[in-house]
Amino acid sequence: MSSSPKPSNDADAKVKAKEQASLRVTDDDLYRHSSQYRVWSFTPEQLTQKRAEINARATAKIEQGLRAFRETHPDLTSEELAAIDEKAVPVSTDEELLLVSYFARMILSFAGKMNLPTEVAATAVSFFRKFYLSNSVSEISPKEVFHTALFFSCKSENYFIGVESFAKKAKTNPNAVLKHEFKLLESLSFTLMNHHPYKALHGFFLDIQSVLAGKVDMNYMGQVYTDCKKIITDALLTDAVYFYSPPQITLAALLIADEALTMRYLQLKFMITEESPTENAQGEKQEPKEGTSIPVPGQKLLEVIKECKAIISNKVAPPKEEAVKVTAKIHYSQNPLTVLDRLKRQRESNSTATTPGQTPVPEENQAKRQKSDGTTD
Amino acid sequence: MASSSQFKQLEKLGNGTYATVYKGLNKTTGIYVALKEVKLDSEEGTPSTAVREISLMKELKHENIVRLYDVIHTENKLTLVFEFMDNDLKKYMDSRIVGNTPYGFEMSLVKYFEWQLLQGVAFCHENRILHRDLKPQNLLINNKGQLKLGDFGLARAFGIPVNTFSSEVVTLWYRAPDVLMGSRTYSTSIDIWSCGCILAEMITGRPLFPGTNDEEQLKLIFETMGTPTERTWPGVSTLPKYNPRLPQHLPKDLGALLQSQTREKMELTLIDLLYGLLQLNPDRRLSAKQALNHPWFAEYYQ
Repeated sequence: MSSSPKPSNDADAKVKAKEQASLRVTDDDLYRHSSQYRVWSFTPEQLTQKRAEINARATAKIEQGLRAFRETHPDLTSEELAAIDEKAVPVSTDEELLLVSYFARMILSFAGKMNLPTEVAATAVSFFRKFYLSNSVSEISPKEVFHTALFFSCKSENYFIGVESFAKKAKTNPNAVLKHEFKLLESLSFTLMNHHPYKALHGFFLDIQSVLAGKVDMNYMGQVYTDCKKIITDALLTDAVYFYSPPQITLAALLIADEALTMRYLQLKFMITEESPTENAQGEKQEPKEGTSIPVPGQKLLEVIKECKAIISNKVAPPKEEAVKVTAKIHYSQNPLTVLDRLKRQRESNSTATTPGQTPVPEENQAKRQKSDGTTD
Repeated sequence: MASSSQFKQLEKLGNGTYATVYKGLNKTTGIYVALKEVKLDSEEGTPSTAVREISLMKELKHENIVRLYDVIHTENKLTLVFEFMDNDLKKYMDSRIVGNTPYGFEMSLVKYFEWQLLQGVAFCHENRILHRDLKPQNLLINNKGQLKLGDFGLARAFGIPVNTFSSEVVTLWYRAPDVLMGSRTYSTSIDIWSCGCILAEMITGRPLFPGTNDEEQLKLIFETMGTPTERTWPGVSTLPKYNPRLPQHLPKDLGALLQSQTREKMELTLIDLLYGLLQLNPDRRLSAKQALNHPWFAEYYQ
């Protein structure tokens, strides 16, 4: 190879060195360079729009299928057409989200059963939820992806487990685990690095102990830490992860775990004061004085944390029955013929319902039997 | 999303840790790329080394780190599309061997390469990423004199506190003595040792410590840098593979040793920097940031 490097860029290097000397890189700057911030941070409006677009795309495809079905079945009775209109309906954006949340929580319980590290579980949830920011649940069933997300998270988080033993533990097979692996990688835009609030929690935990040294009970702090960890895990299923940075989510979790303690810490750390008079470290009442106005950045921080707290306070845990309903709906909308089968069975059972010993099958059970789709254990 | 038909595969460039690398041409843009082909193991899916490399490269956007443009999936392989570099430091050094005599680089080039190497390493470390496999083969260069870190197949993210990592990393010649003695709590200092070895090699054209096994590697290091003792390196005797019966060597004059192998004049500040990078005790090694602020680089930041 004939390359002959010349140190011709000395001037460049000098400029760089100068810039470097004058800049201090903070953790915040680093976070802003991360793909988590660059690629996966959204405003609520952007997120809503993203989900609406995906749902619209899937809905259009399903409606096209339904139209084609009607065209190829010109002899449908009005009763049958009515049943199709009623049952074979594409799922809404909210229903998609419900199903994704249901399975995201399932990932957590699976990871727990398999004794996987917290970070692996958290990354799997993150992968899985992001996957459905570019795919619809009607296009690829969450049931087919949630194992994939968990296994891929093991690889990405450096937690070694072979696909055979993973599949065995998860009671599935290696092919099913790997089937959508690349689709997942692609849907994640190849950005796999996740920063979870647990690390920030550890940092704040240490800092609170030093800032409030001698004023907090260590056993009690241990309890706060454990509570916070749980709150953070729940927060991973909310959209807060797209709106706030990991330390912001952590502070919101701390606020939920112990508001008084957290406020005291924030006051001392960031000179934040509440509108109402608060106690200072010595326990004396401190009147807010005119002129000694609240430092703005600290106040802004508190506002952000409180917004975040409002979001993560709503625990995302859809009941199984709801998930079953959505799954059935997806099935009917994509297989209108099954609506007709169901109608036929219903008619038959109605006509035989008077026969002793025959009871009509309840509607929900039927749906479950036709397409349980993993929402039943 | 790029497709494989967009690239024309050209000659083979080499074998990476877990893949084969080809030169490629982007047919739409006419730009050369490096295509790193990863065989998809039907057993385990995407190899975790590839997953790790993709994960890290997507976070590391820096002019001294080779860029990952895209990832392409075809039936049984994954292709990582990297920025193309003309050469690597190993091949470039080899090209300068005349007869059997290796020649180091002109001092200005040594400095410019080392500066860029440390810039890339500093950026990794800031982002809490260890490269763990720095060696001339993994340092890519082009004919503009740019140097970039490549092959992050063995790299990994580190948290604080540092976990215990496997000691089976880093090519022997550039492997730090603490790692050779079985330390599992190594951190950024592991990459700094490699930067020191590479600096010396660029000066003389010869690898500084060309050991063939762990034992010989340590022997070569201690013969030149001196055998560590509890006094010079507190805690050394507690390392898993510490051998108390090692012959006791006194440190040699590294400056004189290297000067004898180059016609270029070695400045005192350069020798001082070398000692800073090649401290046996990892805690005493310079950080990448400190090294960049070393007086030897003064001409770059004045």
